[in-house]
Amino acid sequence: MKHSKPTERTKVKVVLPGDTVSLDVTTPGITLGPGLIQAGDSISCTKAGFLVRSGSIYWVENDQKRYIPETGEHVVGRISGKGGEFYRVDIGSAHQAILPFLAFENATKKNRPNLNIGDLIYARVALANKDMDPELQCLNPMNNKADGFGKLEGGMVLKCSLRYCQRLLTQETDICKLLGQVLQFEVSIGMNGRVWLSSDTIKHISLVYNVLKQAEALNNSECKALVNKLAV
Amino acid sequence: MVKELELSTNEKELIISGLKEGIRLDGRGIDDFRSLKITLGPEYGRSEVKLGDTKVLAKVSCEVARPYPDRPNEGMLTLNTELSPMAFAGLEPGRPSEEEVLVSRILEKAIKINRAVDVEGLCIVANELAWSIHVDVHFLDNDGNIIDAACIAAISALSHFRRPDVTVIGEDVTIHPVDQRNPVPLSIHHTPICVTFAFFENGDLWVVDPSLKEEQIRRGDMIIAINNHKEICVLSKAGGLPLEMLTIIQCSKLAASKVDWVREKIQDAIANAAEVEKRKTLREIIIDD
Amino acid sequence: MCIITVLLILISLMDGRRANELRKIKCKPSVLSQADGSAYIEQGNTKCLAAVYGPRETRQKAQLIHNKANINVEISLAPFSMPQERKKRSKSDRRLLEIASAVKQTFEPIIMTNLFARSQIDIYLQILQFDGGTIQICINAATLALIDAGIPMQEYVCACSAGCHENHTLLDLNNAEEMADTPELTVALLPMSGKLTLLQMDSRLHVDKLEPVMNLAALGCKEIYQTLDETVREYVKDLFQKSSPY
Repeated sequence: MKHSKPTERTKVKVVLPGDTVSLDVTTPGITLGPGLIQAGDSISCTKAGFLVRSGSIYWVENDQKRYIPETGEHVVGRISGKGGEFYRVDIGSAHQAILPFLAFENATKKNRPNLNIGDLIYARVALANKDMDPELQCLNPMNNKADGFGKLEGGMVLKCSLRYCQRLLTQETDICKLLGQVLQFEVSIGMNGRVWLSSDTIKHISLVYNVLKQAEALNNSECKALVNKLAV
Repeated sequence: MVKELELSTNEKELIISGLKEGIRLDGRGIDDFRSLKITLGPEYGRSEVKLGDTKVLAKVSCEVARPYPDRPNEGMLTLNTELSPMAFAGLEPGRPSEEEVLVSRILEKAIKINRAVDVEGLCIVANELAWSIHVDVHFLDNDGNIIDAACIAAISALSHFRRPDVTVIGEDVTIHPVDQRNPVPLSIHHTPICVTFAFFENGDLWVVDPSLKEEQIRRGDMIIAINNHKEICVLSKAGGLPLEMLTIIQCSKLAASKVDWVREKIQDAIANAAEVEKRKTLREIIIDD
Repeated sequence: MCIITVLLILISLMDGRRANELRKIKCKPSVLSQADGSAYIEQGNTKCLAAVYGPRETRQKAQLIHNKANINVEISLAPFSMPQERKKRSKSDRRLLEIASAVKQTFEPIIMTNLFARSQIDIYLQILQFDGGTIQICINAATLALIDAGIPMQEYVCACSAGCHENHTLLDLNNAEEMADTPELTVALLPMSGKLTLLQMDSRLHVDKLEPVMNLAALGCKEIYQTLDETVREYVKDLFQKSSPY
């Protein structure tokens, strides 16, 4: 799955809920992201974390573990039930998500996907708003192809904070690259705090799992030290 | 079981295949405990146990009360092990869950019913006054095997606890406050320590000290509590996978050796706490001067 | 208490049994008309009645398992069951909850639950007279009741208790012996495969003595199995004769 490199991102300062951010509200084109709210003439923060700015978009980055679904994000989910024409998928959000049988490549009324309860899937959030259960799809809406979505075979799932998943995805943390020099493995990173990983042997899978788990709290140089210790 | 904690088929298969090769997800051996850290103090009778990521806190307190009418020469020992939704997602208040019943019964059997603590020594005046010891066990974080962690916490807290000294002269009962006379430790007959085994597949695969993920896919389990006299205080295999008699005997022998390891850790923790206490008293004496 | 100790030393138990002798067992299946399966068992002076309903619809959606039947066990001790006092034990009494949980987990791998997905099997046990050996009589009664209900099981589950007193092993302890602080091990066995499904021991027993006590309890289970099996075969033969047109 191709991901574009992020545009220049700067951390402005540490904020706490209730802090006012001194931005000129009248400047056109400022977008407020998660964690910021406009109260009359001033902008205040609702979450504790770093205030980050990228171009004219501002948002607050924090370490939360609970996922709030957003349209367009890619997630790793576990099938938890079968409904009439859909699967119920657990993506770690407040409500279980719905994955219709037809939201797969080449799916027709007669040609149903073959998934069981307990299977892991990589999907895209097709619809998410606060009033309804989130809806998923296992295909790329642009070209109606699977494009990497669908059932994940074997491997292991790591539960981590949402921020760590973002760091892995945007390659802000070097751990994947460093580990890839020592072992061969593959990952599917979900924005819902779940990372699926797989390798050729069980020992390697267990190694990758533990390294990724530990690397959440490490910076790039510490990651390098950890991987070097592994290579020995 | 809360939906969020349920494991996917991928994870279940991986853990089982790993066990077949003798590999556990966190890199332990099949019969290894996780890292055990026991912190005693600062007050007497407070013990915090970290078994891997499982965290349990035990606190012992005492008060003077009237002995039970059918046991006039004995003090009382109460164990309180309520599971809170803090550590156990999906727990509902009201009727005790199956897990809660199991935990409280195992600890009660090991410590109270098997008379680990000398309750006769807790009597002050027969029929009138006796010490009532309360052990409150709080579960802070559940990453599997809370019973072993809770048992270690309760036993170490009881071993560390000191009660106020009492003098009885005729009808006169004086309870000396802690700052006037050194408090007295409890008289402990024996120290039972639990070891939990989890069984998988058809009984050929087993592990010691299961983590939360291993607990969720186990097909049977067995809890053995052995004391320092190599006596089995509690043996509980409450249903689950049928096992060969040989497996059970092997596990009981393995448990006996594991218990020695745990007991050493508890002794170390008690020794450390005594050191800290000694240094604190010395410092206080120096400062007072 | 000391009288019992003296008698135990004489290797002859209070009710006139030898050390390795089981209490007298009487059992009868199909005693209730409303339940899908039922059984009545007497082991010495302990009497237990079991009723099985199922597989039927799950009452609580939360207990529904998508690929297996849910087994629910409830045990109650009648207020008149204890000889000394008339005490009403609530259903939430921890001891009874523990035994119910043990019985449920004993039968979970034995009953072919994968044949009845999303349904529930209820086992209700009522102890009418109590003289020790609660878990073992509950398991034996439940086995008989499940067989009577026609619920497919891998095999019988038979339970028995054994104890150890001063190097003498004793079989099937009654209440007086239990109270005398003799270490008591209750064992539930699958008689044909020889595997153990349940082991419960609450008092102190040296590690080395575990094997002989377990072996004795297993022998006791096999004897109980013989009795239960005979009863079931008699009953089925009887049914067959009654339903046969000739």
